[in-house]
Amino acid sequence: MNFFFTGTLLFSIGGFAAIFLKEKYKALVFLILAVTAQYFILPDIFNVLISGTRLEAPVQFTGPIGISYIRIDPLSAFFVLIISVGALLVAVYSCAYMKTYYGKKAGLSTYYLFLGILISSMLLVVTVQNAILFLIVWELMSISSFFLVSFENKKEEVRKASIYYLIAMQIGAAFLITAFGWITALSGSLDFSSFKQILSISNTSSIILFLLFFIGFSTKAGIIPMHTWLPKAHPAAPAGVSALMSGVMIKTGIYGILRIILLSGLPDIKLSYFVLFISLVTGVYGISNAIAQKDLKKLLAFSSIENIGIVGMGIGTGMLGLAYNQPVIAVFGFMGAILHVLNHFIFKTLLFFVAGIVYQKTGSRNIEHLGGLTKTLPVTSTLFLFGSIAICGLPLFNGFISEFALYLGMSKGFAMEILPFNIAAVIGISGLALIGMMAVLCFTKVFGICFLGTPRSLYKDNLSEKSFAFIAPMITLSVLIISIGIMPGIFFLLLITVVKQFISTGIKNELFSMAHLYNSISFSLLIFAFIIILFLLIRRLLLMNRSVVKFKTWGCGYQSESSRIQYTGSSYTQPILQLIAELVPRKINVVKEPVLFPKEASFESQSQDFSERFIIQPSIRILDKYLNYFSWIQSGRMQQYIIYGLLFLFFLLIWIWGTR
Amino acid sequence: MLIKIIIYAVLVLSPLLFAGIINKVKAIWAGRKGATVLQPYFDFYKLLRKGEVISKTTSFIFQITPSINISAVLFALFIVPIPCIGSIISFNGDFVLFAYVLGLSRFMTVIAALDTGSSFAGMGASREVTFATIVEPSFFVIIGTLSLLTNQLSFNSIFTLLNTSVGYTMLVKLLLLTSLFIMLLTEGSRVPVDDPNTHLELTMIHEVMILDYSGPDLAFIFYSSALKMLLISLIIGNLFVPVYLSLFQGLLYFGLIVFIIFYAVGIVESIIARSRISHIPQFIFLITALSIIAFAVVAFFLRGGI
Repeated sequence: MNFFFTGTLLFSIGGFAAIFLKEKYKALVFLILAVTAQYFILPDIFNVLISGTRLEAPVQFTGPIGISYIRIDPLSAFFVLIISVGALLVAVYSCAYMKTYYGKKAGLSTYYLFLGILISSMLLVVTVQNAILFLIVWELMSISSFFLVSFENKKEEVRKASIYYLIAMQIGAAFLITAFGWITALSGSLDFSSFKQILSISNTSSIILFLLFFIGFSTKAGIIPMHTWLPKAHPAAPAGVSALMSGVMIKTGIYGILRIILLSGLPDIKLSYFVLFISLVTGVYGISNAIAQKDLKKLLAFSSIENIGIVGMGIGTGMLGLAYNQPVIAVFGFMGAILHVLNHFIFKTLLFFVAGIVYQKTGSRNIEHLGGLTKTLPVTSTLFLFGSIAICGLPLFNGFISEFALYLGMSKGFAMEILPFNIAAVIGISGLALIGMMAVLCFTKVFGICFLGTPRSLYKDNLSEKSFAFIAPMITLSVLIISIGIMPGIFFLLLITVVKQFISTGIKNELFSMAHLYNSISFSLLIFAFIIILFLLIRRLLLMNRSVVKFKTWGCGYQSESSRIQYTGSSYTQPILQLIAELVPRKINVVKEPVLFPKEASFESQSQDFSERFIIQPSIRILDKYLNYFSWIQSGRMQQYIIYGLLFLFFLLIWIWGTR
Repeated sequence: MLIKIIIYAVLVLSPLLFAGIINKVKAIWAGRKGATVLQPYFDFYKLLRKGEVISKTTSFIFQITPSINISAVLFALFIVPIPCIGSIISFNGDFVLFAYVLGLSRFMTVIAALDTGSSFAGMGASREVTFATIVEPSFFVIIGTLSLLTNQLSFNSIFTLLNTSVGYTMLVKLLLLTSLFIMLLTEGSRVPVDDPNTHLELTMIHEVMILDYSGPDLAFIFYSSALKMLLISLIIGNLFVPVYLSLFQGLLYFGLIVFIIFYAVGIVESIIARSRISHIPQFIFLITALSIIAFAVVAFFLRGGI
């Protein structure tokens, strides 16, 4: 356990050390400490994951916290693994990515300082099991990530986005503080293990508590309608931070939800349906909005919302399996959810890394301005293709493995003689298919428009993608994508202990049959890969001694080529956006002279976030109206604030005197 | 074992024959004599012997896509069961692999189309994926219906158990037949969704995505799209072949059903005009509607109430 603490601390030390170092060495020192931290953290983690035991260490605090326990059970260990490895990859990537910010000294120092604090606090969030301590590290995580989001705070939009992010996090935290406050009052202890007795009784208060926790954690995770911060904060942050936030940090919300489920024991049936459906809606909603985006990073942020939806569907299925006492379904559901957390971490980190390189290379995140990047960034584009295929859940890559578990988990519901579950199952699998197909649409758009075809504008920057710090983390992630995709068995074995925690009955047979299933998938995928290689060889042989001529693209008789007549992202998505116009409202503005041969015309379209427009903004307006009555509290006069301070101290004294 | 190899050899060789049958039927209905049903084989052979012209704009994706497509459909063929012998690859949830392998080939086709930088190919790609978002969920509703009916989770066991039950299953089968037939028209890019013979690139979907292909790659593409249609017709055939038939009878019955399906495609193409692009989604939504009704019927009879 001491090793874990040392490792956690090393990240923060790296951040603090970076303040005092020269620019060139900041990244290097942080990286060295991050690598050292792996050495301290990983052995413990693998030990827990493989043996399924629990590490526990008491930490003595004074005051209201008292003795608090830091526990690493398999669930925590799994998340620690993701955070730790993700932090290392970001540390490597930052070495190359942050070079553009050299010369702005304060900027880089804050970057590494808060990066270190963010990583340490995330590691603590998933291991601390004391209500107050948890809230402290939770807030630390939110605030340090706020400073990272506002890294380029000279830009107005970045400032706006980061403040929006901070407010959203505080609203989420408010729900958590309420929930933790209430539950500690009921149980009389701050330790998580004492919450079990409250949450496992099925009554109104435990359901409300669950919902409070769920809303609080889903704000972090990005489940609708609390997701609105994601598409704002991700584009504002530097690429490494976006990758860390999207790949790792939002998963702490999922961790919270899973932890509460673990403490609740047998879940309520209605709550399980609720989780399943809200996640399904999140998935469909996330991907439909992703399709409409023009900003590459905003699109990836919406796709994160979609993937959190898929994870949530797994959790919902698992809960239903527990509630109906069907261990098979529970195993598939939770295994699917946890595998998808791992998979999403891998491919989303990769995609954000590539998005960062594209941004530095071209100076633009607008998909409509890009194109033909395969020629200038061949390695990066190929890796982006891997990530895109994986995120669509297509076979041979890792996304398929987790989505398969979800499909099968839900389909197992058809054999049960419970009509609501049958209907939920059919809606679930067809919804997952819809999400998958829309993801195909979304990522064919991104890859096809940004990386293929001919460039739509000139790229001046001569950035080299061949830098080791760019290539190494991305290659690592791609290797993981393919190895999970083809050999899921090994990774499945690693995660067995995590799933076992959720199910109290013996599940040896279920796990055995699932392992067997993954072996047959693995085998058939190898056959598939073999056929592909066979046909590539056949094609090669057929064309060996023949003429292969390079010529311009067939323009159906039109002779003058231009990169501007290529299909754009907007035209590519126009048919689908017309079908789902209600879900993704768009402002369209067409200006055209009303004559036969108009000389000037313009077209402008802007997609809007449905829930922001119809849920968040109206509620803010109402709040604004009533909270205005209290605006006299914040007058802006210094004297008044000093009085507040004095009053607070005065009451504090009285309170201390009273408790004595 | 030998019989299995022979059957699969015949299946792998047959898709182009069915493409020939459709053309022959169309010719007869139009009052022409038409080319021989073996014409697609001659075309295929001719294309295989040629060199290629490749667009300057394209990257490696354009060149690997046809090979991946043909591998994907051939692999999918191993998952679909054949009456009386079953399938080569079978496990719980194999239908997911079936749908997703075809999804991979769709993904590759679409980005290969965008790779050429041609606005026509982009147009086709955009339509292809849009219509697929309607078709794909419906396919899973169909599988859900069959799974609810039989309590099974692999193609093999679903179709083995399906034909032993009687009564309302006939109604369900007819509903599924209709929706799978529409799916066949959509996925095979036939009239009224798409017209493989038109020369108006603006109105095309699948054919316009492959405008830049030539030589062996084009041969692969022709073969894959023919086999893709055959795959769906094999699923339809499985719905209707009773298991108690002997091997020879079963196969004959099966072959007859597949033949009728392709004959019907030819007839549909002869008597129906191609829809306007903006009306196609409504037509494809029929698949969703019919499969949901089928699910509701099963739920009503099995679980007593909707």
